[in-house]
Amino acid sequence: MNSRPADLSVSLGGLDLESPVIIASGVWPYESELWREDRLEGVGALCTKAVSLEARRGNDGMRVFETPCGMLNSIGLQNGGVRSFLKEYLPLVKGSNRPFLVNLVMESEGDVRANIALLRESSSSIPAIELNISCPNVDGDGMAWGMTPEGTAHATAIAREEWAGPLWVKLTPQAPDIAAVAKAAEQSGADALVCGNTWLGMAMDIRRKRPVFQRVVAGLSGPAVFPLALRTVWQAAGAVTIPVVGCGGIAGWEDGAAMILAGASALEIGSSLFTDFDLPRKITGGLRAWLAEEKEPSLAALVGRGRV
Amino acid sequence: MTCGGRAPRDYSARIESNRLLGEKTGLLTVLCPAIAASAEPGQFVMVRPGGGDDPFLGRPLAVASVSHGTFTLGDELTVRGPIGQGFFSSREGLPLPEKVILAGGAVGAAPLLFALERLGGRAERTVMGVAGSGWEDFASWLMEVFPALELYSDDGTLGIKGTVLSGLPEELPGNTEVWACGPEGMLRALAAKYPSDGGRIRVALEARMACGMGGCLGCVIPTRSGQKRVCVDGPVFAASEVLWNEFPSR
Repeated sequence: MNSRPADLSVSLGGLDLESPVIIASGVWPYESELWREDRLEGVGALCTKAVSLEARRGNDGMRVFETPCGMLNSIGLQNGGVRSFLKEYLPLVKGSNRPFLVNLVMESEGDVRANIALLRESSSSIPAIELNISCPNVDGDGMAWGMTPEGTAHATAIAREEWAGPLWVKLTPQAPDIAAVAKAAEQSGADALVCGNTWLGMAMDIRRKRPVFQRVVAGLSGPAVFPLALRTVWQAAGAVTIPVVGCGGIAGWEDGAAMILAGASALEIGSSLFTDFDLPRKITGGLRAWLAEEKEPSLAALVGRGRV
Repeated sequence: MTCGGRAPRDYSARIESNRLLGEKTGLLTVLCPAIAASAEPGQFVMVRPGGGDDPFLGRPLAVASVSHGTFTLGDELTVRGPIGQGFFSSREGLPLPEKVILAGGAVGAAPLLFALERLGGRAERTVMGVAGSGWEDFASWLMEVFPALELYSDDGTLGIKGTVLSGLPEELPGNTEVWACGPEGMLRALAAKYPSDGGRIRVALEARMACGMGGCLGCVIPTRSGQKRVCVDGPVFAASEVLWNEFPSR
């Protein structure tokens, strides 16, 4: 065994990770070469692209749009459905030799139960589910499940009933009361919370004099949202006892360190991988050096240290 | 897994020269031996300034040529590449045609220059089009690098008045392919001009994209074999594969 200068391993929400850096959902393509060890240095775990019960074609019209220090996206959860995922992509994901989370789209209650049932049939292969509750509750008022404590609790409880393994719930930052939805997810059986998802924004096409995106609004991500995401991590971590994963605009180890100090037990990175494949290695390298400088034995010991 | 096992990588690179060819057009020469060694015509790279978050995303730029030589130190860039299926790899074993007509619209000329090099300089014809006034420097560059260039311009101020399409034959001989790159409207019109020969029209598409690695799904287009990503499943497609009528307006 090589002795490590500093321990970056973390255990949270039923998973043991060698590194706190998790690739967020919707980022990493199912290209075999990118799931090889040499392309995943520094990566502790990966979230799959969104998996819905049936295939989704995704949104028409403009899908990505650059903004100052960030980007808007309106992809629309394009994916081939859970059966296609299990057959075509699960072997590739397993080949990464890391824990992974299947990012599950919270659709209608019936769909999500059926989706999890199909995942359960191959449960020996799937370490954890990350439940995306930013999607509209089509059985209810059409508002995203995660907007209210009640919707969050309901969605989490359904998934909890169907899935005995680790269940992480990815909150939506659009929820007006982050602490309340965080508590609701915890009380309904979530093992960890991911804080959060993209932030609703929009762009205007000033030549065509209409919104850039067909659905008008789109999700903002990238370094521009980091301070907002840090704040939601702070609020969620202050409200629950289960681990919180910081996600939103992390573009370097300093951002990761800030998230950890605010109470995050691990980090999800997304858009910044679009511009730098090497970011996980850079973040873990930076965090190791930081721990050494601060004479801290482990990252886990610094979780929430910045809370006042 | 449609990437053919050649996912792009990120490299630090230095600008060797930047020659302006118009108000918003330039020829950037970048030192990046790894990409120079492995790129093929039709592939592209994502280029970003070396530091900072703004602009956040890379810019997809076609590779116009590769060469091996000396360099001088300049500004640092991050270059991701080479990306995608080019004019050769997109053929999936289909033999090269006897004759190739290169058809470029404006900066779409760039990958065609590289294609011409890899064809050993043997193109049946080289037909390029620009808007006209304001494109003089770009046109000069075209004339420098493409022997036997047939140049068209919309306003008639450069070369012959007309579009690239007006310079192409009405019927495409059976032993000939058109390799094209240019604005979407031009490529769409090209596909429409040869409705029954779309398999012999190879188009290099442009699309707005975030990642250049097949991850963001920002650049997908409808094709006869389902949704395809311009970045890694293309950017070169047979015109007959693309469902032009269902093309998203972006």
